[in-house]
Amino acid sequence: MTGRAGDIATYIAAIALTALFVMPLAWLVSLALRTPQEVYLGAARFIPQQPTLENFRLILSDRAFGLYLFNSVKLCALGALGAVVIATPAAYAVSRFRFRGSNTLMIGILAVQMISPLVVIIPLYRYMDRLGLLENHGSVIALYMAIGVPLSLWLIKTGFDTIPLALEEAAAIDGCGRFEILLRITLPLAAPALASAFILNMIMGWSQFLIPFILLTRDGQLPISVAIFNFAGSTSASTTQVLAAACLVAVVPALLSFLALQRLIVRAIMAGAVKG
Amino acid sequence: MTPIRPNRLALSVAALMLAAPTAVLSQDLITRDRVGPEDAPNVMTFRLTAYDLYSTDPATRETFEALFTTFILANPGWRLETQLATDNIGQEQARMLEQVGAGRGPDCAMIDSSALGLFKSAGVLQPMNAYFTQDQIDDMFPFVRDAVSDADGNVLAWWWFTSLQVLYRDTALVPDAPQTWAEVQDAALVTVAAGREGILFNGGRWEGTTFDWLPNFWAQGGEIVDAEGRPVFNQGDNREKLLAAINYYKGLVDSGAAPARVTTIVNYDEFSAAAAAGTAGMFIGGNWQYGQLRSTLAPEDFANWELSELPGPTPDQRATGTGGWTIGAFSDDPEKVRLCAQIVWDIYAIDGNAFQGLLPTSAAIYDQFDAYDGPEYDAFAAALVNGVSRPDAAIYPEISNQFQIMLGQVLSGAATPEAALDAAAAAVDAAFARL
Amino acid sequence: MQQNRLVWLWFTPVLLLLGAVYIVPVLDVARLSFSDATLLRPVTAYGLQSYRDMLGGDSLGTILNTTAVFTLLNVLGLQLVGMGIALLLIRGENRRLRGMSVLRIIVLAAWVIPGVANGLIWQMLFSEAPFGAINSTLRLIGLPGVAWLSDPTNAMMSAVIANIWQGSAFSMIVFYAARRAIDPVLYEAASVDGATPAAQFVFITLPQMRGALLVNTVLVTIQTLNTFDTILALTGGGPGRATEVLSLNIFNTVFYGFDLGGGSALAMLLLAISMALTLIYLSILMRRGART
Repeated sequence: MTGRAGDIATYIAAIALTALFVMPLAWLVSLALRTPQEVYLGAARFIPQQPTLENFRLILSDRAFGLYLFNSVKLCALGALGAVVIATPAAYAVSRFRFRGSNTLMIGILAVQMISPLVVIIPLYRYMDRLGLLENHGSVIALYMAIGVPLSLWLIKTGFDTIPLALEEAAAIDGCGRFEILLRITLPLAAPALASAFILNMIMGWSQFLIPFILLTRDGQLPISVAIFNFAGSTSASTTQVLAAACLVAVVPALLSFLALQRLIVRAIMAGAVKG
Repeated sequence: MTPIRPNRLALSVAALMLAAPTAVLSQDLITRDRVGPEDAPNVMTFRLTAYDLYSTDPATRETFEALFTTFILANPGWRLETQLATDNIGQEQARMLEQVGAGRGPDCAMIDSSALGLFKSAGVLQPMNAYFTQDQIDDMFPFVRDAVSDADGNVLAWWWFTSLQVLYRDTALVPDAPQTWAEVQDAALVTVAAGREGILFNGGRWEGTTFDWLPNFWAQGGEIVDAEGRPVFNQGDNREKLLAAINYYKGLVDSGAAPARVTTIVNYDEFSAAAAAGTAGMFIGGNWQYGQLRSTLAPEDFANWELSELPGPTPDQRATGTGGWTIGAFSDDPEKVRLCAQIVWDIYAIDGNAFQGLLPTSAAIYDQFDAYDGPEYDAFAAALVNGVSRPDAAIYPEISNQFQIMLGQVLSGAATPEAALDAAAAAVDAAFARL
Repeated sequence: MQQNRLVWLWFTPVLLLLGAVYIVPVLDVARLSFSDATLLRPVTAYGLQSYRDMLGGDSLGTILNTTAVFTLLNVLGLQLVGMGIALLLIRGENRRLRGMSVLRIIVLAAWVIPGVANGLIWQMLFSEAPFGAINSTLRLIGLPGVAWLSDPTNAMMSAVIANIWQGSAFSMIVFYAARRAIDPVLYEAASVDGATPAAQFVFITLPQMRGALLVNTVLVTIQTLNTFDTILALTGGGPGRATEVLSLNIFNTVFYGFDLGGGSALAMLLLAISMALTLIYLSILMRRGART
């Protein structure tokens, strides 16, 4: 299918998929617009009879909410950045060098992600306690980095694999060292792969619950993934409508920061190429 | 009997109003992670849920801010460092256990009554007897006193509000309260014939399912664990009684008195939704839902809904499960335990409960407040006489997990009651051997 | 070209980070799996007891079965949906179609929504009450309602649907980047030769994305094996054990059974399964002879 017909088909498919994906979100919006009386109607009513923006007002005027979002952005961005930066040299080595044990090493590093986080957090807590690294953002970021490295390693390596060796060999003939080649030539060409790895890390960090839950107890340090429970209400007095509003509000800065940071990363890497 | 005191809440609010210019002060006294002046030298960490002081409901939040302000002003030189307790009971209690074990737990914390047994058996709670009078201790409901005390009579936590399950019915279809299991089934079938879903109850895989169903076992005098905390529910008489309780629920679903969807219900709000949508005829819900129905339903519809005690196999065999939250102290500093006890009594047990309409755990408090004048409170108080709390054995959460599986399998037709029960008992025994 | 020793220099940052932060807890999990530790008391004995108890458990067979079904359906579904959306987006960009980024943002939003919201939403959608969202819509167009969550088989399908909705964004991003990295020259040359778009897909796109496909399959498999919060929020593993996958079982073992030794043993089992699957994927790829 080419040309016009293809375009129309593309639009139809896109609209259908968008509608399917939006539907659950629409229900979340419906919950967020309800008064406490109407929220108990659950699925019985889609459009509330007395819609209200009060829940959003509550969330937006809560100073702590902004702090939780900031914490999340900080932890996730730094964790993602660190993971990508640390994984890149290793990814380059696996992609370009043939050496014994490369596959074993890759799989071994991947094994880090295969350990169930439910079980690891208990020894992790005890270990961090002994090191005196509890209650601080630094250790949380370091853990996000550690968890993100295997994923980034594989993705960035795949990205490097698509860049022809010929370009690098030309630069080598000109007398560039390996590391310079990586920096000036390979990285800029692989910028989209690096940016994707960054975004994926960031999003995975955004929903991380167990690690900040066990390592942080001060309210002012919590990211939104844990602190959102501030708005959940209890079994006997659920505040589902506020929780729904909180979830929706939390999405917006998340998306904005991901997309902005992704563009920044790409530009930063490209800028490195120009300077060379 | 505690003497009737002037309403402490009224005093607090009056004090605050008199100190109007310092109303600004109360803003600085209470933040998301602190109660009290920032420079106070003595610190106590207090872990609490977001249901009261940090509630999103402004009226609730202001009331508790007033109570906390009075408390902290009465304790100069102290400040509270507040920590959030999330709603994930399982993860929350594991985290607190781990932190307390490492010496990093909060000094004073809210503990769900179902988790209390865990902390008792871990031996980490500090006795609070020194800070309550014998009268206060004696005034607690018996099931409350048993649950919070150990064998030596130490009060290890204070259970400050309780909840219970009751049977709700639409009197337009079911004018009289069913007194037995058989009557429940008949009444539900009447509502089905009238086009409703029948009777709804928690049947999905969560604690509420076990908790709402166990009264059927307890009403017959069944015991889940013995005095040492060892599981005995599949032995001797208990087995028969358990099977009877399972078959009661199974009969409801098989006869159509309860819809198949009960195995998907993991939230009490579903019942309110069904009542509001006009599809529920009866349901087994929590006492707090009466107030929710009042605010959600139209007045003429709400007038039809009434609650009654959970029925048993015969009219004389009754029980209900009692939930709620406790506050316990982990710190070994006597001053902090004293403060913890003060928080319990001066903030939560009396005024806090009265404001939120929660059920106090001491008989005398019911007489103190107008908030408890409604007829439903008489029904609650009567039902609480037969109140049973969940066993305070460390094996209980696993028993609950296995019972949830058992009920789900039986009600969805995947297993017979006998087979499901045997599988649950085997799994519990295996887990108990490992504890 | 390089001596082997210098190669390892490139790995120093990774090894340092993992060594400092993660290795000790991971080794501790292995140690705990050989012990009888619980959350209530420290270790009293070492040995194979935990493995014997967990691997000999009556329910393990059912749980592994459920895990296999759930993982297979998700790995296929997530990647198909992710790939489909990625290709749509690429085509939209190539043809300068406006408004396609709405799709990307919505799919991304589904992933970013806090996990607590998933339970809320999908329980309303799958509700089997007369007023349940999806069932009401079905009845409106004349179809009968479906027992989404109360029927054991359907419950699995519903969990898969909810998980795919939530997680497609990951595969979408991976495949999008991989597709973008393919040299447009290849496609131009193929068009000149008269290849249809379908042929271009089969003979250019798929082979060029082989590396990304492998990586994504491995990553999605590992993620799915470790997923439990979607299922926890939707069915709690029920009805009965119909949707209880291994990771959820580990959750129950540790947080309701307080059994750290048993949970660790199960975690090692899960690790072994992940490792085995990864090696299988890799060997399939190696046999095809493509450079990865």
